[in-house]
Amino acid sequence: MTDWLGMSARPETTRPELRAAVLARARGAARRERWSAGRTLAAAAVLVVVVGAWWAGDSLRRQHGRTRALEAQLAAVRDTVRFLRGPGTRVVQVPVHTPGRIGSVTLFADTATGRWYVACENLAPNEPDETYQLWFATEAGMVTAAVMPMQDSRPMWMTVEVPAGVARVTGAAMSIEPRRGSRVPTGPMVFQVKL
Amino acid sequence: MTYSNRLSQEAQRSLLERLRAREEAALGELYDELAPWVLGLAVRILQDQAEAEEVLSEVFVQVWEQIDRHDARRGPLTPWVLSIARSRALDALRRRRRWWRKADRWGEAQVGEDAPAPDPGEAAVPGWPVHQEVHAALAALPEEQRRVVLLAYFEGLTHSEIARRTDQPLGTVKTRLRIAHAKLAEGLKHLKDWQR
Repeated sequence: MTDWLGMSARPETTRPELRAAVLARARGAARRERWSAGRTLAAAAVLVVVVGAWWAGDSLRRQHGRTRALEAQLAAVRDTVRFLRGPGTRVVQVPVHTPGRIGSVTLFADTATGRWYVACENLAPNEPDETYQLWFATEAGMVTAAVMPMQDSRPMWMTVEVPAGVARVTGAAMSIEPRRGSRVPTGPMVFQVKL
Repeated sequence: MTYSNRLSQEAQRSLLERLRAREEAALGELYDELAPWVLGLAVRILQDQAEAEEVLSEVFVQVWEQIDRHDARRGPLTPWVLSIARSRALDALRRRRRWWRKADRWGEAQVGEDAPAPDPGEAAVPGWPVHQEVHAALAALPEEQRRVVLLAYFEGLTHSEIARRTDQPLGTVKTRLRIAHAKLAEGLKHLKDWQR
């Protein structure tokens, strides 16, 4: 019965001008509500379009990035193939005996440009504090070519370049060195070969 | 008991349908029917004419926007509108920073409330007979029961707040409210029946 208790208050005479103001406000609020709903829908539509455009743009950018990465890889492969088939490239394959297995190191050496391509296969993984180190044999002695720590026996490929100012390279060698590498060979030689 | 000044059941049903159909003239008719009561209730709660008129405006905005939420099976239109008016007025009352000063004025205004002297023309306001019936039902309550009902309804106080205000145990307040509501329900049950 509390619903009816409001009727226990005495009625108040309303000012005549209040009627028009109240009704206009009520109708106006309803129209604003509908207008607001319309604007909300429009805003949602715009949002969908903007998000869709952003998504499409982002997808295109990602696709473009992937394409450029593939193009770079293809260019690298072509460069490698061109190098391997170059007329000035000498190929030397060296059988390598590492603890418990027989592997090989293949050297593709372009003596004209001083650029070498080295492929190592089936080498035993290094001890945690050791690494393989490749050396250029020159008339002035051994010069470091690359430090190649191997965590496992997966094949490894790399490109190395003869440093500028180094005397004529006459051969190559690989030794086992402390993990950070050495200035001159100190550990056991894995192989030593003349070009 | 006559209801000559009130909308008949059929007329109220028709009014409701027209309101739901967004017929603006129907909103005007509802205003003519209930605005004096909505304003009266708001004035009674707020003791401030300007604030009460603002509440009146908010109530009709809400009724117009939410008419579809009114469930005719749960009660007629009039108490639904009055419940909105009460809620909005109590909201305004709670927002008011001058709460205690206004509450004091409200207390003073209570003095003459039990013996209403109708203004000329007041009895011609639609719904006046219902006002008299509700007022009579309230007046028939013992003073301590009427007080808790008025504090709960017109000030929106919780049971605990009423207990503090009247310096009575919480259990006593609840009991008084329960008994008072039972008496009011019995005394005014024909109002609900009339609407069905």
